[in-house]
Amino acid sequence: MSMQAALPVALIPGNSFIHKVNPITKIVWVIGYIVLAFSTQNIYILYGMALFAFLLAPLAGVTKPLLKGALILVPIGSSLLALQIIAPAVEQPWTPVASLGGFTIYGDGLYYGLVLLGRIVASLLIALVMVMTTHPSDLFTSLAKLKMPYTLNFMLAMTLQLIPVFQREVGIIMSAQKSRGMKGSGFAAVLPSFVPVFVGAIERVQQLSISLESRGFGSDGMKTSFRQVRSRPSDWIIGIVGAAIFIGLSIISIMKGLWSLAHVIVFPGTFVLWLFIIAAATFAGVIIVTLIYAFKK
Amino acid sequence: MSDPIIRFDNVTFGYSGTEVHALESISLEIQPGEYVAILGLNGAGKTTLGLCVNGVIPIMLGGNLEGTVTVDGLNVGDYPVREMAKIVGMVFDNPEFQMSQMSAGEEVALGLENAGIPYEEMKRIIPETLALVGLAGFEERSPLGLSGGQQQRLAIAAVLAMNPKILIMDEPTSNLDPIGKQEVFDMAAKLNRENGMTVLVIEHEVEVMAKYADRVIVMDGGRIVMNGTPQEIFGQVDALAELKLRVPESAEVASILKSRGMWNGPIPITTEPAIAAVNELLGAKS
Repeated sequence: MSMQAALPVALIPGNSFIHKVNPITKIVWVIGYIVLAFSTQNIYILYGMALFAFLLAPLAGVTKPLLKGALILVPIGSSLLALQIIAPAVEQPWTPVASLGGFTIYGDGLYYGLVLLGRIVASLLIALVMVMTTHPSDLFTSLAKLKMPYTLNFMLAMTLQLIPVFQREVGIIMSAQKSRGMKGSGFAAVLPSFVPVFVGAIERVQQLSISLESRGFGSDGMKTSFRQVRSRPSDWIIGIVGAAIFIGLSIISIMKGLWSLAHVIVFPGTFVLWLFIIAAATFAGVIIVTLIYAFKK
Repeated sequence: MSDPIIRFDNVTFGYSGTEVHALESISLEIQPGEYVAILGLNGAGKTTLGLCVNGVIPIMLGGNLEGTVTVDGLNVGDYPVREMAKIVGMVFDNPEFQMSQMSAGEEVALGLENAGIPYEEMKRIIPETLALVGLAGFEERSPLGLSGGQQQRLAIAAVLAMNPKILIMDEPTSNLDPIGKQEVFDMAAKLNRENGMTVLVIEHEVEVMAKYADRVIVMDGGRIVMNGTPQEIFGQVDALAELKLRVPESAEVASILKSRGMWNGPIPITTEPAIAAVNELLGAKS
């Protein structure tokens, strides 16, 4: 069994230009993306950022896994849009454009829904591209270079390691309990395996701490690193240019009142209505399929 | 004879929360370069004895320790385990619980990084050590994706890379197939003979102990009950049987033959002398 497959989002090995970019540069870009996304309400900027992040995927050869990872946006996006259209998360007054049954459909609700979604899409896509093109060890080595405390760094890396281990452990314990006649499915079946998994985890961690200490973990004095992360001039340039763009746009956007175009872009009533129906139907569909799948198991 | 590298002076130890002593008045000396095997039932105190050597007891696992343990001139307990790590390398029985890194190369590197070994040297040491345990070219593989035997050898490599003076292996071959076991003990023997590394093995495999060890220590109920060369120990088939311990099969057969008056020579404990003995026996009959 391949342990790596257990994580939905993991490094996709490759040799592309983006794979070779220094992790710190990538961190700068992800932070820049998030800062800019949350300091603007301009949907052109937001979806431009999302599109740019998406276009990086074919360059890095991670399009397919990226799309797979981005599937999480379907329930998030559909529920967000459907709810925002009937109940915008901004101050009144709202502009009603249509009505459906007992619901009033608001045009600016759609706009703010798209803004919220755009922030999530842009940040998620760039973060996925980063995670899929960066070896975790390189990432942690870089974080250590940024003076992140060694123990904290180690803890984070360790957690990443332990997720698939515990997934497998839960699987083994559940199988063992089922083979002894335990009934139940879904969450009801997972619950009784928690105690053995926790006990196992404590034992594992104690053994690990002894093993680590026996290999000099926590020694005083200088530490060296086996993983060498190079920073080339191009990494500096990409990082500085990115930081300049993100900081600049963020400042401009904040000075222009978050650059909201809610009153410039007016959606036709029928368009908003249909989008609401599609979003609500998609979200309902996701819930129904999940429930059916859960009960079938 | 040189000074002993490991010295237990009347050591008694009980884990906190229990009345029972895991070790009871242990006095023991191990010389540099010795290959010592520790034999005993589960709960006899073998692992506890090993943990006393690198200071996990009493520093990490609390309890009541009496007497002194001296390792390479240092009084164990006065130094943190991470300091003792420079002298004592310890491999535990569950290899998967010892893995913490994303790749085998980094797993081996961990101890070197902690010791501050420069990158250029690590680049040389790591492939060498992996090759030594038969994992050449495994640098980029995930430790969790390896088989039990490979993980076990990786755990050994992670310790060997630090070039300790003493190597302690606690049931190092419990996850290995017979060939894998053979490889681990061959490797330990090579390190012992060529590099003069002191090796302390806790094992149930009496055949391999008989073949490799210079000395066998038998423990029971926290005490050392027998201590001698493999020939001295495994020759005492009845005494070991009383302790519910096995002896090598050749010794067992020879002792049965002896009890029936069919064999008077020394009891062979490994295969080759046993074959010679059988040939002699058959030759005498025909």
